[in-house]
Amino acid sequence: MRKNFVQTVKKAKDGRGYIEYDWHAGGIPSNIVLGENVYIDSSYSFEPFHSERETGFYLGDASGLYSASTLMVGANGTVKVGSYTILNGTVVVCNDDVTIGNHCMLAWGSVVTDTWAGFQSAPIEKRREVLRFAATDARRRLLQVDTPRPVVLEDNVWVGFDAVILPGVTLGRGCVVGSKTIVSEDVPPYAIMVGNPSRLVRYLDADDTEEARKKAFQEYLQH
Amino acid sequence: MSNEQQQRLFYELKPGIDLPGDSPGKIPSNIEVGENTVIDSSACFNNYFSTLPVGLRAGSNITLWRTSLAAEENALIEIGDYTYISNASLVCSERITIGSRVLIAGGVTIADSDFHPIAPAARLADTIALSPVGNRQHRLSVSTKPVVIEDDVWIGYNATILKGVRVGTGAIVAPGALLIKDVPPGTEVAGNPARIV
Repeated sequence: MRKNFVQTVKKAKDGRGYIEYDWHAGGIPSNIVLGENVYIDSSYSFEPFHSERETGFYLGDASGLYSASTLMVGANGTVKVGSYTILNGTVVVCNDDVTIGNHCMLAWGSVVTDTWAGFQSAPIEKRREVLRFAATDARRRLLQVDTPRPVVLEDNVWVGFDAVILPGVTLGRGCVVGSKTIVSEDVPPYAIMVGNPSRLVRYLDADDTEEARKKAFQEYLQH
Repeated sequence: MSNEQQQRLFYELKPGIDLPGDSPGKIPSNIEVGENTVIDSSACFNNYFSTLPVGLRAGSNITLWRTSLAAEENALIEIGDYTYISNASLVCSERITIGSRVLIAGGVTIADSDFHPIAPAARLADTIALSPVGNRQHRLSVSTKPVVIEDDVWIGYNATILKGVRVGTGAIVAPGALLIKDVPPGTEVAGNPARIV
């Protein structure tokens, strides 16, 4: 039977965090705030994490990064994740702000991004310039063409596998995004959004009240 | 490593055996397999937790390559003769039935449940039960509907087949399609959600 695990992340002298039995030696960058009882599969999640903000990543209490979720964060990016949220093989691309609420579930292969390469509207010469720069850069970075637009996932959002959440989108509280759905516009609270191109199927009952939350804590925590 | 092991791509699948030179090596014993059915690695059973007397019923001459047979406690996966599955995930909570001579391409996902409840309050409770401090044993049950793939079906790359779907005999599922409804026999479907083309 599978079990739920709590992990200990040890702080080293260099300020970086290290997970016990981590197969990846990179460690967790120092500008990261982790809540209580979090779970991180591996520090490999932070391999493309380049945030230079004072705090580039927050992970709330009892949240987890599973199945090598990836945080591709640029120098000016900040990713905030709430409590009891599951990122299971999710890719977050952030060059400004990505906010994910409490009690969210993001399935494998899903992508949340606040940045387009922005190539659709740019002339060919711009693309060539970006590629020329990448060839000369030691870290092979792609220059940013478009301005990032922050993405917000409110509380209790469920994103199905292989779904893509595009820049500037807000997913309302309690909404569901079906698998392989491409979301380019805001999704209202408690809506079910599926398909590509995406369409709104119906609304769910807003039964996730504060009382329901308290009751769930009593029933589903380890005592 | 011997030359024979280096060249070996497949092992013959038998219940309860240990595969030499393979990790983790152990094949579950609650499976029924016909003759000349092969598997590339015991890793196919990494997420196999079925506790039924028979959790996998496989016919003869089947090829399973890099395929995840993810089965919950009460799950039964059935696969017919000569079926060829490469790099697909079968995620089974109750029952997935695949016919004979079915060809399944890479990146395909077949699931007979939605993994989580859909009502917002139940979903919120599920995030707590699944969290590092939660109690997984008491999770709310999730609705499941068996998936049936009939004989001679061809499923393209990255297609997804969701719960309750029956794919009729001889149908073709185009690459990337997402199926939420039954597919009539002999038709070709494509898109998300899939339509007959």
